[in-house]
Amino acid sequence: MANNEKKGNAFTENPIVRAIGTQKIVVVAVLIVLFGFFCIASPAFRQYSTILSIMDYSYYTTLMAIGVTFCLITGGVDLSIGTGIICYGLLGGFLINHKGMPVAVGLLVTLLAALVVGTVNGALVAILELPPFIATLCTMMICRGLGSIATGGLSQNWPPAGSETGWFRSIFKLDLGTTKIPLGFVWVLLLVILMSVVLNKTKVGRYIIAIGSNKEATRLSGVNVIKYQMSAYIISGFFSGLAAIAYAATFQAIAPGTGAGLELDAIGGAIIGGTSMNGGSGSVAGTLLGVFIMSMLKTGLPFIGLQANWQQIITGLVLIAAVYIDVLKNKKME
Amino acid sequence: MKKKVLASLLCAAMVAATLVGCGNSSEPATETPAAEEPAAEEPAAEEPAEEDGGADEAAPAGDLHFEIVSKGFQHQFWQAVLKGSEQKAAELGVTMNFVGPNSESDIADQVQMLNNAVNAQPAAIGLAALDTNAALDGIQQAMDAGIPIIGFDSGVPGAPEGSIWANCSTDNYAAGEMAAEETYKLIKDQITGATGKVRIGVMNQDATGESLINRGLGFMDKIAELIEADGKTVSVIGNDKYVTDCKIEAKNSEDGDVVIEVLVPAQVTSELSAIDCQTLLNKEDTICIYGSNQHSAEGMVTANENIGRLGKDVVGVGFDSGAVIKAAVKDGTFAGCITQAPVAMGEAVIQQLYNAATGATVEDVDTGCQWFTAENMDDPEIAQNLYD
Repeated sequence: MANNEKKGNAFTENPIVRAIGTQKIVVVAVLIVLFGFFCIASPAFRQYSTILSIMDYSYYTTLMAIGVTFCLITGGVDLSIGTGIICYGLLGGFLINHKGMPVAVGLLVTLLAALVVGTVNGALVAILELPPFIATLCTMMICRGLGSIATGGLSQNWPPAGSETGWFRSIFKLDLGTTKIPLGFVWVLLLVILMSVVLNKTKVGRYIIAIGSNKEATRLSGVNVIKYQMSAYIISGFFSGLAAIAYAATFQAIAPGTGAGLELDAIGGAIIGGTSMNGGSGSVAGTLLGVFIMSMLKTGLPFIGLQANWQQIITGLVLIAAVYIDVLKNKKME
Repeated sequence: MKKKVLASLLCAAMVAATLVGCGNSSEPATETPAAEEPAAEEPAAEEPAEEDGGADEAAPAGDLHFEIVSKGFQHQFWQAVLKGSEQKAAELGVTMNFVGPNSESDIADQVQMLNNAVNAQPAAIGLAALDTNAALDGIQQAMDAGIPIIGFDSGVPGAPEGSIWANCSTDNYAAGEMAAEETYKLIKDQITGATGKVRIGVMNQDATGESLINRGLGFMDKIAELIEADGKTVSVIGNDKYVTDCKIEAKNSEDGDVVIEVLVPAQVTSELSAIDCQTLLNKEDTICIYGSNQHSAEGMVTANENIGRLGKDVVGVGFDSGAVIKAAVKDGTFAGCITQAPVAMGEAVIQQLYNAATGATVEDVDTGCQWFTAENMDDPEIAQNLYD
């Protein structure tokens, strides 16, 4: 154990390693190892269509995870995003399918609904000072109910690819006839860069980190804590709106009553990526990598013929390992 | 000060939103005042539920009121059942209250709905139980109160003797067999002419629901029987429950001329079902995939977007309908699909409830299923059972 620590120190003192962050390097290494392992273990896995699917199915989780990273950094959490994306997607889909509205309006309503829920979450946590876990658990339940009521319990299908109104699907996947380009990955990357800048270089981001490190000290130094804590939840809401659009563009149908548990993939991804559950530290790029680990596991494990229950056990073990690294890091800092 | 005003406004808004929400969803389920609740515990005093239940409703001819507890409205299948029962109720001049939980995993909500239904003292109750064990208490209450229960859809398997008067349901095992027979016609030549191993994929949403298990097993047993009759061997791999319960002898083996691979996702999400289908589509020896319900079939369509083998060198067969599946049948992605007859099911439930309440003969009804393809899906006979 002592030996390992020494090696770890030499490793972490390398300037390049320090610039990128130890955890991210570990995560990238794990990602590569996993990908390599699945490629060797399953001939069916090593095909372009698999990569395309990993991308496709990762967008909505990544977008949710980017947003929830900000809540986690304040020391909070946003549990409403999973059922939220289903609720927003249902609302938008309902307007398109049953009210004859153009797709653009459906997209806009989807985003607006997400912003409203994000703002309510922020108000509950920052102004009413409800514990984030409880506040967002409640909005999660409300979203679940609202999605079913608004659509009369009907599942909604957004316009299919190739149809006149299916243009929004090509935002995420460009169909060139012979090949398909996972365009969504470009947008996700751009958003990751943008939000990394917001987190590290702007006042909003820095105050969000400060609140997570020590809320009282931040308040005492004259920062409007309510405003910045709220903004973390509004950011989470906005990104869950984008996630809802990505979900609607990827999958064929959105069923009411579903969505519970999707938020855990996003939160798990953020934690694997090095965001601390205690708040005060985290990175958006790490979150992206973390989500890819989750997606890689979800896609790869069925390919090697592992039965459903084992897939969940392994995903759980990976999360334990990731959180343990977080615990070790915190200990070192103390 | 400002903060407090804002806070109370927010509270008010949230409470209002919640109340509106609750009002909408539970209003019909709690029509009858809660004061009547003790009645369920003292059945002797309230036994003639028929006359009583109808009396305060001012219902039309017959004065009969039925409570129907479904599995929810998440799938349009249930909308079609509702339509059928509404039609029949209007025809017979009875009233009904059709409820269902938010999703098919909300077992506790459904139990609550069943209790409310018993407390409403209807002439009879229609029930499609999500979980029989969870519903036992409500079923017992109904029995004590002398209220007949008619099961529908998957019915109420394993309910205490005498509690369920009859079932109106699809024979799901037979429906799975029908899917296998129709599918085999399409892949027979490929199987008998194959020089190497070929694979048939079976996708099921879960390994717990009785109706899904039967649809999967019906398909697997029948297709294996047909293949073996043509002199080829069959083996099966995949989900333990299906592998153990099917009649195929070579279990957990890839050695057959035809390998049947059964997949069940770790959770019921669109993503995981699509990935399951992808694992099948990415195997070169796959010649056919069968999805045993709307969720699995939609997962097949999602996965096929990136691979495009369905309808080309892989035969896709689905179950149920919905806009996505109908489009897939129309454009050839699916060779065909099995649809149940939800409208007929809704009608049959009301008829049996009516019979039970009026003392006429009550009997089990197989509401049937149909095979539909791009050619026959517009026939009125079939189109009435397809929904968006």
